[in-house]
Amino acid sequence: MLFEHPDTVIAEIARPLSLVEKVWNQAPARKLLILLLLAVVWQWYAQWLKNPLMFPTFSDAAIALWHAFVHGELGSRVVVSLRVLLSGYLIGIVLATLLAALANGTRLGNDLLEVLTAMFNPLPAIALLPVALLWFGLGNGSITFVLVHAVLWPVALSTHSGFASISNTIRMVGRNYGLTGFRYVLQILIPAAFPAILTGLKNGWAFAWRTLIAAELVFGVSSGSGGIGWFIYENKNQLEIAYVFAGLLTVIAIGVVVDSLFRLVEQRTVNRWGMKF
Amino acid sequence: MTTAAGPLLNVQGVTIQYKTSEQLVTATWKVSFQADRSDRLILLGPSGCGKSTLLKAIGGYLMPAEGVITLDGRAVTGSGPDRMMVFQETDQLLPWKTVRQNVAFALTASGRAAGQDADEQAMIAIRTVKLDKFADAFPHTLSGGMKQRVAIARCLAMKPEIILMDEPFAALDALTRQQMQEELLELWGRSRFTMVFVTHSIEEAILLGNRIVLLSPHPGQVKEVIDVDLDDPGNRFHGSHNDLRDTIHRALFKDAGDYVI
Repeated sequence: MLFEHPDTVIAEIARPLSLVEKVWNQAPARKLLILLLLAVVWQWYAQWLKNPLMFPTFSDAAIALWHAFVHGELGSRVVVSLRVLLSGYLIGIVLATLLAALANGTRLGNDLLEVLTAMFNPLPAIALLPVALLWFGLGNGSITFVLVHAVLWPVALSTHSGFASISNTIRMVGRNYGLTGFRYVLQILIPAAFPAILTGLKNGWAFAWRTLIAAELVFGVSSGSGGIGWFIYENKNQLEIAYVFAGLLTVIAIGVVVDSLFRLVEQRTVNRWGMKF
Repeated sequence: MTTAAGPLLNVQGVTIQYKTSEQLVTATWKVSFQADRSDRLILLGPSGCGKSTLLKAIGGYLMPAEGVITLDGRAVTGSGPDRMMVFQETDQLLPWKTVRQNVAFALTASGRAAGQDADEQAMIAIRTVKLDKFADAFPHTLSGGMKQRVAIARCLAMKPEIILMDEPFAALDALTRQQMQEELLELWGRSRFTMVFVTHSIEEAILLGNRIVLLSPHPGQVKEVIDVDLDDPGNRFHGSHNDLRDTIHRALFKDAGDYVI
């Protein structure tokens, strides 16, 4: 005989969360709050210090940021920086994909990737700048070169390990469908390795961004239009310290925005698929 | 060329060897057996008898060192959608696709159907394994048994010549396994597909098979091929069931007492 339920009714099965809870569940919102707290601490400390030449207040830096964007040239500097960054990043990703594909296909390619990444991954990209300047001269060519170096090895390494970690079962399933060659790589291998590939893209971006700003600090005034790094350096020379901080804030802000873009992609893909490792 | 008279699957004198970094291992030695259309052929044997290896060779993932495997008269030279596999591992579904997309993708990738048509065929197959409520769920949200049902649905949707099952229920809990076995028989009753089913469980072999190939290990060789008459439904649960089990048990342990099943 079946067990009879008592006459109670289950009060609620599911209830939508309140707006506050929903916002709190968003990582970018929580991070924004932390940023606000840091700004408050900064403002308070700088006011107590009373030395704007060493450490301007947050409000001064914010005003400088506003001026630099609205009346100044910070906007165009950002565009210059991002354009160089993007070209270096894309070239690095293409090369990394080719290298990883080669390593996945052949044993010698595998050895090549392992030797090259063992050599070059620990080599800070910025250390190549003197040589790059020698080869490509002052200008975007040199920066692009060091950016490619910064992106290529971490992305190749994680793409490679992503391919290597694909289970034999998934590979056999792909073969079972009759998939071969390019379609097999595109429809089976790349999605299956996507968690690792995404991690590689994130690391590659972080390396590239740091390298770019560092390289621009060293030089970056090639054709009269430097990037954000050069903006910082210039203003430090002119003792416009609030503008130096405005430049730094811009660097940070772009970093945070890109980071949350990556997180969004992660939520839409890896998290949704239950493939997070 | 169709060979209506001959067997659908013919495994003839197949020796499979593979290399480890240390040695060349012979997995199976001159194995022969046949499966006719609508057969439920079981490869039964202890670990090391090369039953999974044989299945992978039929699937076209391994090439025999000696002997031939033919499907409907054509020699097997590579993997393909006419021989759909169901694996033991529950990660055989593509995690980035929903249940429906997984089944439909098998159809589109292999060129069996496209677009709306693939989607409809996928839904029909998903309905036959009673998972229509979960059609839009991602695999990682499903239980082990449900994942295996999707894998079976994927096979059915493809309408292959033969379905190859590599211990598909081994990773499931006992209750789910029993349920899956019954459902599989029910599905077979409906569409009478041909399948080769690998297992190390005598009970499962007797329950599911109509022809059982007994393999001995190191290297895998055919000990005996037993045709099970399931036309008499009483067969399974009464005297002859036990007789059959004893026969299989004796055959497997006759001169290999130290191998554990």
